[in-house]
Amino acid sequence: MSIDITGVNKLFGDFVALEDVNVSIPTGQLTALLGPSGGGKSTLLRIIAGLDTADTGTISIEGTDATKLPPQKRNVGFVFQHYAVFKHMTVAKNVAFGLEIRKKSKKEIAHRVDELLKLVHLSQFAHRLPSQLSGGQRQRMALARALAVEPTVLLLDEPFGALDAKVRKELREWLRRLHDEVNVTTVFVTHDQEEALEVADEIVVINDGRVEQIGSPDELYDEPANDFVMGFLGEVTSLNGNLIRPHDVDVTTAPTLAGAVQGEISRMLRIGFEVRVTVLTDDGQEVQVTMTRTHARALGLEEGQHVWLTAATGATTVPTMAAV
Amino acid sequence: MTSALATPVDRPARTRRPVVGTSTLTRGSGLALGIAMTWFSLLVLIPLAAIVATTAAGGWEQFWRIVTNDQTLAALRLTVGSALGVTALNVFMGTAIAWVLVRDRFWGKRILDVAIDIPFALPTIVAGLVLLALYGKGSPLGLEWANTEMSVRLALAFVTLPFIVRTVQPVLEELEHDVEEAAASLGAGRMTIFRRIILPSLVPAIAAGAALSFARAISEYGSLVLLSGNLPFKTEVVSVRVLSFIEGGNTAAAAALATVMLIVALVVIVAVDVISRRVARRG
Repeated sequence: MSIDITGVNKLFGDFVALEDVNVSIPTGQLTALLGPSGGGKSTLLRIIAGLDTADTGTISIEGTDATKLPPQKRNVGFVFQHYAVFKHMTVAKNVAFGLEIRKKSKKEIAHRVDELLKLVHLSQFAHRLPSQLSGGQRQRMALARALAVEPTVLLLDEPFGALDAKVRKELREWLRRLHDEVNVTTVFVTHDQEEALEVADEIVVINDGRVEQIGSPDELYDEPANDFVMGFLGEVTSLNGNLIRPHDVDVTTAPTLAGAVQGEISRMLRIGFEVRVTVLTDDGQEVQVTMTRTHARALGLEEGQHVWLTAATGATTVPTMAAV
Repeated sequence: MTSALATPVDRPARTRRPVVGTSTLTRGSGLALGIAMTWFSLLVLIPLAAIVATTAAGGWEQFWRIVTNDQTLAALRLTVGSALGVTALNVFMGTAIAWVLVRDRFWGKRILDVAIDIPFALPTIVAGLVLLALYGKGSPLGLEWANTEMSVRLALAFVTLPFIVRTVQPVLEELEHDVEEAAASLGAGRMTIFRRIILPSLVPAIAAGAALSFARAISEYGSLVLLSGNLPFKTEVVSVRVLSFIEGGNTAAAAALATVMLIVALVVIVAVDVISRRVARRG
């Protein structure tokens, strides 16, 4: 295991940021810390980097206890949401910074900077100032700067959070490919479940300062540990006291299956290929169902129609803890 | 301007479009520029030109004789020397005070923050009185600096203190903390972070404050007349010298000395600007 976090607690005043967090992050993988804003995931990342210190608990990186080490000695690369560029230095100087601190020879620095700028596709911008770059380019520069020192682990704090949707999507695909190329143990913080599911090998779901579940994207989606994880990783609706994904609800126009919930379609909304159906059940609950346009047409659904709802075979369901 | 594309090629109006040095002025901003320039001319340019004209009217020889007069030279040396020295001191002290005010938390910080402006806001003659009470004859501090060169430096340091503090402080407040964290995680120690990351961002502000501080120092009068005693060859500064020329009816000499100070101020402000550009680029 590359990073071992054991029994970490952190308070800000009387706000509990992290509560008894135990996580092991595997070597060479891309791990996402996923959770809602203010849930403690960024704090955990900063504690790994040494930018914040845990009140109790230990952090070990590659087997060495880093709990008391200052950030300078941890050999981690850190990428910030708002790029944290050195404004007065050129792109090449930014990337060279960590190498200059390590007193590498001029020739070695020039060579390495060249290599890294190629890696992040910024070679032609080497002599520009960061202010002359777009947000996506700045973040790639920040990534090159962090990678320059050959860190044991690369930590990214909401790296694409400040970028617009299109660039964000491009960059996360690029990050995945980059990771496969350089293979450094990488941890990134995100509140976007789609980003985590698409990019990460492993996801740690953090909420209210606690780890809710750790697993691969498929495990989390298919076997969520609780209603929070289920709800955070995708759309949910409640049917018969269970949480279920709206596309996992089968709709029939006649009572063919035992235990089906009877209701009336109160609203239908079509968005492209998808139809969102709201069913008001006889016991007064609203159930959301999504299906393809073709399927809805085949069933001949329309508003006001009586329908029967069942969970599809193999659907993931989680008992509702509280009313959703 | 947006209709330029639709304009037929042979419209005569096109030939009137300036080719070189295209101005972006609209009617409104043209008017604003006109008002600004008139005001600036009335207040600054015309009086300054008048001084230079008066000096020029006396001819080169007269100018040279006035300026190279021993007493005048001593006053010039004292004024420019003390102003440079005090400004250099302010660069360190002002930056340090700004740093403490922004980065540290301590009891009485808000009071100190407000008190910094007192030397600037105080009528200069009151400042002179305060200094006289503390450093004059029978000084409670045991420092009898009245009528010495130290009194000039002291008065200048007193009135110029806020300039660099007030220019550096907002820039320091605006610095993003994550930039320093990024440098730290790349292995930079606290001194390196200050020298290579923080200082280059502060330099333009320090330079602006230094220029203000120097300008104020060479023009200071009120705060030092009481304490310095205005002794020729010893504690007489240029502004005092100019005043005594005028009181003696020697307007030409006053204008000549004023012109010299005008040149000194210009040279120093340009030099400060050049230095700050150089330093800010390095990093």
